[in-house]
Amino acid sequence: MEKKEMIEIPGEWNIHYNYAAGKITSKFLITLRDEGKIMATKCDKCGLVILPPRSYCERCFVRVYNLVEVGNEGTLTCFSIIYEPFPGLPKPPYVIGYVKLDGADTSMVNFVDGVDLSDLSSALKKLKVGAGVKVIYKEERVGRVTDFSYRLIS
Amino acid sequence: MLRNVAVIGVGQSNFKYYRPDSTLVELAQEATHLAVKDGKISLDDIEAVVVGVAPTALFGIDAVERWFVGAVGGRNKPFLRVNTGGATGGSAFQAGYFHVASGIFDLVMVAGAEKVGESPDTQFILNQIWEPAWERDFALNAINMCAFQAVRHMHRYKTTMEDFARVSVRCHANALLNPHAHIRKAVTTEEVLSSRVICWPITLLGACPRSSGGCAVILASERKAKELSTRPAWVTGVQECTNTVFMGDKMDMPFNDHADFDDLAIATKRAYDMAGIDLPIKQIDVAEIYGPFSNMEIAAVEALGFCPKGKGAQMEKDGAFQLNGELPVNPSGGVLCTNPISITALVRVAEAALQVMQKAEARQVKNVKRAVATGMGGSLQIHTCTILSDEPR
Amino acid sequence: MGQEVAIVGIGRIPCEAKIGSKSLNEIIFQVTRAALDDAGIEREAVDNVVLAASDQLDGRAICSMVLACPAGAYLKDEIKVCQDGSTAVAMAYMRLASNVYDVSLVVSWTKCSETPVLQVTNLSCEPFFNRPIGLNYISTAALQAGVYTNSFGVTPEDAAKVIIKNRANGAKNPLSHLKQPVTADEIKNSPLVAWPLRRIDLPPESDSACALVLVSSNHVRKIGRSPVWISGIGWATDTYYLGSRNLNHIESLRGAAKMAYRMAGINDPRKEIGLIEIQEITAYHELINYEALGLCNAGEGKCLIEQGVTLRDGDLPVNLSGGALCSNPVFCGGLIGVAEAAMQIRGEAGNQANRKIRTALAHGTYGFCGQGNTVIILKGQ
Repeated sequence: MEKKEMIEIPGEWNIHYNYAAGKITSKFLITLRDEGKIMATKCDKCGLVILPPRSYCERCFVRVYNLVEVGNEGTLTCFSIIYEPFPGLPKPPYVIGYVKLDGADTSMVNFVDGVDLSDLSSALKKLKVGAGVKVIYKEERVGRVTDFSYRLIS
Repeated sequence: MLRNVAVIGVGQSNFKYYRPDSTLVELAQEATHLAVKDGKISLDDIEAVVVGVAPTALFGIDAVERWFVGAVGGRNKPFLRVNTGGATGGSAFQAGYFHVASGIFDLVMVAGAEKVGESPDTQFILNQIWEPAWERDFALNAINMCAFQAVRHMHRYKTTMEDFARVSVRCHANALLNPHAHIRKAVTTEEVLSSRVICWPITLLGACPRSSGGCAVILASERKAKELSTRPAWVTGVQECTNTVFMGDKMDMPFNDHADFDDLAIATKRAYDMAGIDLPIKQIDVAEIYGPFSNMEIAAVEALGFCPKGKGAQMEKDGAFQLNGELPVNPSGGVLCTNPISITALVRVAEAALQVMQKAEARQVKNVKRAVATGMGGSLQIHTCTILSDEPR
Repeated sequence: MGQEVAIVGIGRIPCEAKIGSKSLNEIIFQVTRAALDDAGIEREAVDNVVLAASDQLDGRAICSMVLACPAGAYLKDEIKVCQDGSTAVAMAYMRLASNVYDVSLVVSWTKCSETPVLQVTNLSCEPFFNRPIGLNYISTAALQAGVYTNSFGVTPEDAAKVIIKNRANGAKNPLSHLKQPVTADEIKNSPLVAWPLRRIDLPPESDSACALVLVSSNHVRKIGRSPVWISGIGWATDTYYLGSRNLNHIESLRGAAKMAYRMAGINDPRKEIGLIEIQEITAYHELINYEALGLCNAGEGKCLIEQGVTLRDGDLPVNLSGGALCSNPVFCGGLIGVAEAAMQIRGEAGNQANRKIRTALAHGTYGFCGQGNTVIILKGQ
């Protein structure tokens, strides 16, 4: 029986963008790179200390001008362990987590390094919402948010 | 005074993973013709078209709706496209509703299609939805953002992976009765729990497939609906709510925590108010809920007010959401069995409309007067809620 | 018809080649804040938000995810349309006319400096027939300009009159991107990009954003200032396949204009409209658009400009803002056109008309060769 031939045309998108980070984000990344510190923004109206920092408060809808330094320790508020490989994304398994750093009111995402993932149930004993976490700064920093990562405080 | 608007026709493909026989627009065309036939009108009768397609990067064609125009009978008619990520179908429906509710149009087509099988890079593309400075580096994608919701819900309410698995068992069983569903294979709790972990705690059988196909819905003014249909599905409420993209703003928060869908609850309350509903568990007869991962249906039933927060898993366990239960959820099999991203939220509305119009065939729930359909997009941040009724407001 | 709708707040920033010091989120916040301030309200007063943006132009696969909240949408009912900014006005109009909502924010933006715009437009081609031929916004505009000039004997000198007019207008508009007038010699010496288009026949690529506050009629006295009524809306999209269209005119703009005129009760646009803001894809397209708007017969667009009708001091000035030939932030151009027309009616435009403007028309376009168009008719009190 004759099978109908169906043609597939291959295609690829390779679009390069250059996103302007703006003053606040630039300040965050430069301070991270040059001083090994994490800066948050504080809204004068509602008082929230926000990470990642933003030059405006989405709720109060006013400009935010003040940058404040936050601590290098905090609590894990959420995490996941990634097992499935996805094209263009890091090789699994790895952990990503949200951490509320001391002094901040919101949590910021980053990789959680150094977790032994060889046995899932043991890992889940350590990886818990509420676990203590510290910030580890890379030796060589380039001004990207991956210049730091989190580690569980054992 | 709000004008009455109704659904008078629905069309949807039999969803599959891959459709090499059709282009994306031919899938929309297929659904459009089915809807027009169901509504007993002709394509020329349609006065305006709303197309819902989500990230066009998935199709590899920018502004792809421009290609749709001819296929959905829209040439030289008022035509617009809506994109709110995963909630697109719900937002497109809402936009169609406003076309008619404004008094400007009497017959409007809402249509869309999805062809996911053409790119293997779906999650890479969905990594590009995040803020370039803050979130892309961490391989955030559409799966792990939902895993985060599960982790928060488990932490707050002691929900378990078994609780999530029950949702998947129910949906897969329901899909056997739906000829349009993509995955039509029953699963057991054990199978769900032992399937491969993708992003903990989400396992393969607790996750949606990727589906290709089209869907179209026809909306009519009160005058036209009464003329053309003996049992239209009246749109008594349709609302949306958008939250911040930053999931970190929702971690460990008294209100608007990532465990809950407080944003869906806001959209729902507004929709219920529009529809005059104050006791949803009694007044809603069937729900088509947007839940691409099983954990999300539990938070959704709580947000819809069917039970207090943290009690959704117990209600599921008690069988309340089964086809023969107190309030059937996803008699179609839901998103866990069929996920044509661009139109998934539109399919929810279509299925809810079929229930109200009593055209849902083997999956018809008895005595449906009111149905609710939800849509969700973004970082679990964009929510639509639509209420359909057998009576106008 | 339902509730009437008026513009009561306008938020603008200048159009520039590159706004490098602010992120896209920040310029969106800036114009939205400015619109709220102009209307004298806080975000709490808004009950719905309509956005118009392109994922590919923004380089974010679902751009409203990150950009809805800078546009004021936090926990509000928000929707994003994918035609241009003027279509967002049509969408907001329907939402307000339905009586479900009363106070709408309409926001649109593009930062061309961050994106390879030409490449992105090539990617809007389906991959089977059009993309391999490398069609993009320039080559397709050139195809249409070639058909039009051939059909009606329109010359590069006719196009030059449009460029001279618009560039002179833009020079008087502080918000314009290009602020230098041009001479006939500069135009003659401009290199050919895609016949018959010279570089100078084409708009620049700009960064900008724009926001409006719209209210339903029963809120006009409570909120905002200097209301400008939307008396008509119309939009339409033609087929995708250029070969199925007769490119010597723009059918969907004819249809959009008819719909808007009917709603606004306009029978003789030439007489009843005081000012027009067009998003001209090229200088030739401004002439094509005159014809599609029913201001003259086919092929006679050049006569309108020859006779001085659409010049600054003419009976029906077109593009006092400078039009797209001076400022082209692609996606929000149409919304800026609406804003400029509204500002003219309010008497606050940078290059203000020299007589009182009571009725104005704003136009937006999207897709190759004006595949889709939107027309908004505005009326003063």
